[in-house]
Amino acid sequence: MRPGFFFSGKRVNLLHEVILSVGIDIGTSTTQLIFSRLTIENRATSYTVPRIDIVEKEVVYRSKIYFTPLKSATEIDAEAVKKIVREEYRAAGMTPGELRTGAVIITGETARKRNANEVLAALSDLAGDFVVATAGPDLESVLSARGAGADALSKREHTVIANLDVGGGTSNIALYEKGALRGTSCLDIGGRLIKVEQDRLSYIYPKIRDLARSHGISISVGEAADEKKLYAVCRLMAAQLAQALHLIQPDGDHAGLYTNAGRPLPETPRIRGVTYSGGVADCVYQPPGGDVFRYGDVGVLLGRAIREDPDLGRVERYEALETIRATVVGAGTHTTEVSGSTIRYERNKLPIKNVPILKVSEEEEASLETLKASILDQMPLYMPEGKAEQIAIAFTGEKRTGFAEIQALAAAVTESAKEVIRSRHPLIVVVENDIGKALGNALNVMLQHEKDVICIDGIKTLSGDYIDIGEPIAGGQVLPVVIKTLIFNS
Amino acid sequence: MDEKDLRSIIEQVLTEMNMTPARAAVSDGAAGAAPASAVEDGCIPDITEVDIRRQYLVEDPENGEDFAELKANAPCRLGIGKAGARYKTDPQLQFRAAHSAAQDAVFSDVDAEFVERMGLWTVQTQCDSKDTYLTRPDLGRRLSAEGAAAVREKCKKNPTVQIYVSDGLSSAAVAANVGDLLPALMQGLQSYKIDVGTPFFVKYGRVGVMDEISEITGAEVTCVLIGERPGLITAESMSAYIAYKATMGMPEARRTVLSNIHRAGTIPAEAGAHIAEIIKIMLEKKASGTDLKL
Repeated sequence: MRPGFFFSGKRVNLLHEVILSVGIDIGTSTTQLIFSRLTIENRATSYTVPRIDIVEKEVVYRSKIYFTPLKSATEIDAEAVKKIVREEYRAAGMTPGELRTGAVIITGETARKRNANEVLAALSDLAGDFVVATAGPDLESVLSARGAGADALSKREHTVIANLDVGGGTSNIALYEKGALRGTSCLDIGGRLIKVEQDRLSYIYPKIRDLARSHGISISVGEAADEKKLYAVCRLMAAQLAQALHLIQPDGDHAGLYTNAGRPLPETPRIRGVTYSGGVADCVYQPPGGDVFRYGDVGVLLGRAIREDPDLGRVERYEALETIRATVVGAGTHTTEVSGSTIRYERNKLPIKNVPILKVSEEEEASLETLKASILDQMPLYMPEGKAEQIAIAFTGEKRTGFAEIQALAAAVTESAKEVIRSRHPLIVVVENDIGKALGNALNVMLQHEKDVICIDGIKTLSGDYIDIGEPIAGGQVLPVVIKTLIFNS
Repeated sequence: MDEKDLRSIIEQVLTEMNMTPARAAVSDGAAGAAPASAVEDGCIPDITEVDIRRQYLVEDPENGEDFAELKANAPCRLGIGKAGARYKTDPQLQFRAAHSAAQDAVFSDVDAEFVERMGLWTVQTQCDSKDTYLTRPDLGRRLSAEGAAAVREKCKKNPTVQIYVSDGLSSAAVAANVGDLLPALMQGLQSYKIDVGTPFFVKYGRVGVMDEISEITGAEVTCVLIGERPGLITAESMSAYIAYKATMGMPEARRTVLSNIHRAGTIPAEAGAHIAEIIKIMLEKKASGTDLKL
């Protein structure tokens, strides 16, 4: 039992700390922001090693939903986005200094804009010291599913749930089995892939035009918006989603609809339920009456088509915790995790943002020789101008839990990471197994206290990931960590 | 009694148990000829190898999969089925094996060679045997006269930290953990540049003897790594009791404890690194036990 007591029917926990987190989502059609409170608590008794976790996540402020300001078809209006962010901070009574963590995510088609990266970087600095910049359809699938509550639902119901985040430009799918992520996927299916202005079609995404054409429906820009005809196109899009969930056999158009030639979901486990999030989700759950083109797109029709699709109807449809705000809630509450509670770090070197992970694979880790070789082989990738960039060396540390093994491991790292040790950057090591502090101490002693060592555990990583490490929380026992990847630890 | 005698007795008993009236008639004087007594080379499975988190033995369960998933969270003896009103054979044997391991952990001594290999030397409390140790806790809290003299003579005076190891209630815990725990703790202190005294081993030690050791050595912080009372889940669990300027007769609340150090709890190497940090904080705040907020 965690230390604490009940007061007025609510549980009051002792030894906890609340940190504020921000989530900012700049999507194809909308830009939103939320603030949330993350409660961090030591779940272990006071006479064992601390075990600090995020035990509660609560959204405390939701911004208005803005149309994403664009300068042109290929450029985000960075100044306008910054203005939105500043005004919402003011409205919420927050200052960037109060925010201990958070994430800005650029999603959907917006991520393809020319200045997406600069906007991300500028916003993450504006939003707070440890607000990280993220992007990528896989991450978006995961964050929206977690914001919609599909992961928790699948765990609670012991079932397999797919969340479909149907937005303006893309549909992001994440598949959860009993709380564990089983796959993600992203298709070019969305409510704003056909736009309607003054009752005429003003924009058609080429892939959607082709999909319609191959089913004998011809649509072109400039023609009058015909609800019946456009609904038929939306039904084709809904059928593509059913194919993506393996509810029916894929047709000839299906493979071409994955974003960036991405991959489909795995065929197993079989999906037993769905949740919907994203802007179109509200039209799935509660089909609105009135003008179907009031949003200037086919979102309402797509929502109806998804709701009526016979194949999607074969699995149970669950309510989502969040619909249009799922991604931003996911970004604000589900990107941050905490490191293990026995770690080693140099406080004055934190926070550290956007550090690429040099990952030693599990096979390479099997022997110290191959571990060293792996680090040495990969090192040149992180030395673009002959000098080592800031990197984090990561491995699982599996089966190396004895003192002697940890010493050998530390020796192997110091021998192979010479370039990092020689550089002005701290030596960052990220392990999964609970050996962070012992390994950190070994490195520190081996390097004769002359090198800053940050050695954290309890964090899973993949090759190609980036890591952000924040300033210590919970009395200095843990560090908040954001891994920009698919793999989440909890 | 050698193995041959033992074998012939076993064979004899087995033969007698199998005796039917019909065979009894011929068994006179021909007991040794029974063909059922062949000895095989094989091994029966080691019941202590079973991971009880993964063992689920209920027959025809309503929802076995969920129960098995719950069970994976903690090593508890639930969902192990039953044979009539009793345990099944396998859980029954596991239970007895765990109980025996616990007993052995208490009643056996730490191997003197192991103590030496760890670079430690031995002193004894005022207990002269395990029996005295178990029945007279007060004697386990004081060093023998020779022991006290040895500590006075061999240990560095007034070290910042004095560390020692003690058997306590589990010699198995010492054997299982100290090899990783002690060097990790030493290295941790070294990484914080904290001066450490001369470590040694106390036989038949209770936690309280650290107070006398603290007084003799004059250490600022004293830390004992001691075997915990064994349970039926592990007999190898170890604790560290740490106190700032411990004195004889001080309240127990002045001790800080870190428990559950074993391979399935906090792994010993990481625990050692953590204890080093607790000591560092203790030295900074000049307090321990309930006076110290970690």
